[in-house]
Amino acid sequence: MNVPVETVPMTASRKRTAPTSRFASWREHHGWSAGSSLKRLAQRPFGTLLTVAVMGLALALPLAFYLLLGNVQQLGRALGQDQTINVFLQNDQVAQQAQLLATQLRGRSDVATVTVKSPQQGLDELAKLQGFSGALDALDANPLPYVLVIAPRADLDAPGVARMSADLRDLRSVALVQDSGQWRARMDAMLGVGNRIVLVLAALLALAALLVVGNTVRMDIASRSEEISVLVLVGASGAFVRRPYLYAGIWYGLFSGVLAVLLALAIEFSLAAPITRLNAAYAGKLQLGGLPPWLLVAVPLAAAVLGWLGARLVSAWQLRRAA
Amino acid sequence: MIQFDAVSKRYEGGHDALLQLSFDVPDGEMAFVTGHSGAGKSTLLKLLAVIERPSHGTITVDGQNLAKVRGRGIAKLRRRIGMVFQDHRLLMDRSVFANVELPLTIVGIGRADRARLVRAALDRVGLLHYERQLPATLSTGEQQRVGIARAIVGHPPLLIADEPTGNLDPQLALEIMGLFAEFQTTGTTVLVASHDLRLIKQMKKRVVVLHQGRLVADLAAEEVL
Ligand SMILES: Nc1ncnc2c1ncn2[C@@H]1O[C@H](COP(=O)(O)OP(=O)(O)O)[C@@H](O)[C@H]1O
Ligand SMILES: [Mg+2]
Repeated sequence: MNVPVETVPMTASRKRTAPTSRFASWREHHGWSAGSSLKRLAQRPFGTLLTVAVMGLALALPLAFYLLLGNVQQLGRALGQDQTINVFLQNDQVAQQAQLLATQLRGRSDVATVTVKSPQQGLDELAKLQGFSGALDALDANPLPYVLVIAPRADLDAPGVARMSADLRDLRSVALVQDSGQWRARMDAMLGVGNRIVLVLAALLALAALLVVGNTVRMDIASRSEEISVLVLVGASGAFVRRPYLYAGIWYGLFSGVLAVLLALAIEFSLAAPITRLNAAYAGKLQLGGLPPWLLVAVPLAAAVLGWLGARLVSAWQLRRAA
Repeated sequence: MIQFDAVSKRYEGGHDALLQLSFDVPDGEMAFVTGHSGAGKSTLLKLLAVIERPSHGTITVDGQNLAKVRGRGIAKLRRRIGMVFQDHRLLMDRSVFANVELPLTIVGIGRADRARLVRAALDRVGLLHYERQLPATLSTGEQQRVGIARAIVGHPPLLIADEPTGNLDPQLALEIMGLFAEFQTTGTTVLVASHDLRLIKQMKKRVVVLHQGRLVADLAAEEVL
């Protein structure tokens, strides 16, 4: 160009614009995008609330299940600690044999305690239960065998308990083993299924939240196609055009994440009273937990990332179509 | 500044909007492109800004072969071309100042420099005291001048305008054309498409005449009567 330099200050001022100043103006545009996108959301409070509410509910649901599952798990653990195995000996076994077996079993590493219940004790227990005393009077001999009440070690898992019961069943002197192991195994399996359900649910609902943000941002972009075409015509880069919409996605995500956490906390709060009662019934042995603090922070942050991602995918697709 | 070499443009499913068009516009010149509606004036300007691509031929702008300009290069090219539209294309929800500032923000010029350049541009189109207003509160002629301020704020080496006076009365139209002539005197290459022959004749600049996509006359400024 044969143009004197002072008549093209654009070129000149671009050369004069130091990297720090360009960074400053880049940062300024980020600030402007964050602020103006927030303002636009505020200008359509109804639509914004609707999007945030739908997204927030979608994210709160897995949190609620997580909360529920965590408590069921704790409950199961607490109940599991109370579980004992009742070993009914053959009717021909006498006191001495029962004591001998009890001593043997106390030597096992997976056994915590063994109590021997005599037929008389069994009968006394039954007699205490209403309605039985009359029936018992009709018996001329005590039909009850010796019973060993075994408490497995508290940290023994379901397969461990099952193994122990199997060992006990194999003993010749044993008539019947009534064990809670099956119950524990079932519960562990159920919790495993529950955990998986929470994960799948969380993934599905996160996808739903992504779609909700994506669709909202898509409509945002569609309603501003004129502005976008002007920006593109005066030389805006894709990143520049996208920036406000990405911030909108981040805001939607952040707000709905906060909403989800608040909903989850409300559920936790509403469960607090019944759980306290339950805990009292278990003499304070239950340790029912709420949502861990890290989750309360992580959910809004993850939701913000989700919102950004939804906006990014949609804006890339839509702006490419507009170009 | 601009070279068209045997350029043809056929829109999808349409006929030829431009046919074997060849002409140059040297640096710092001002030229009009005229012709009836449908002659291909807008198409010609769109090719310059890479809004459309030619079907055949080569277009060079400021030494750059436009066929090789893609992706980010298109945005960078447009930053060096000031564009004025018949319908001014202002962002109606932003102030006059913000509208004119836009090309500078895109380039990443600092706040203080932006304010200085925006005020200088508004001053040149005589709208300095309107900077805080929204475009909707301005008259059509004033809106068009804001559009022009936005096009020249970054002092682009090339200014193109498509029917910039289409919506204006003759007096205002003449004022606007006067503005373009003024930018030319400061070294900017100016290309204006207009079907208003009477107005063009008053300006005494080079005139390129299109008819059905062909160049039918290329009159130097002295030849315009
Ligand atoms: N996007 C388009 N698709 C198809 N045909 C088009 C398109 N734009 C313009 N044309 C046709 O190309 C020819 C030239 O149009 P245009 O460049 O707008 O002329 P002018 O600006 O001189 O009135 C016209 O016949 C018009 O119908
Ligand atoms: Mg036209």
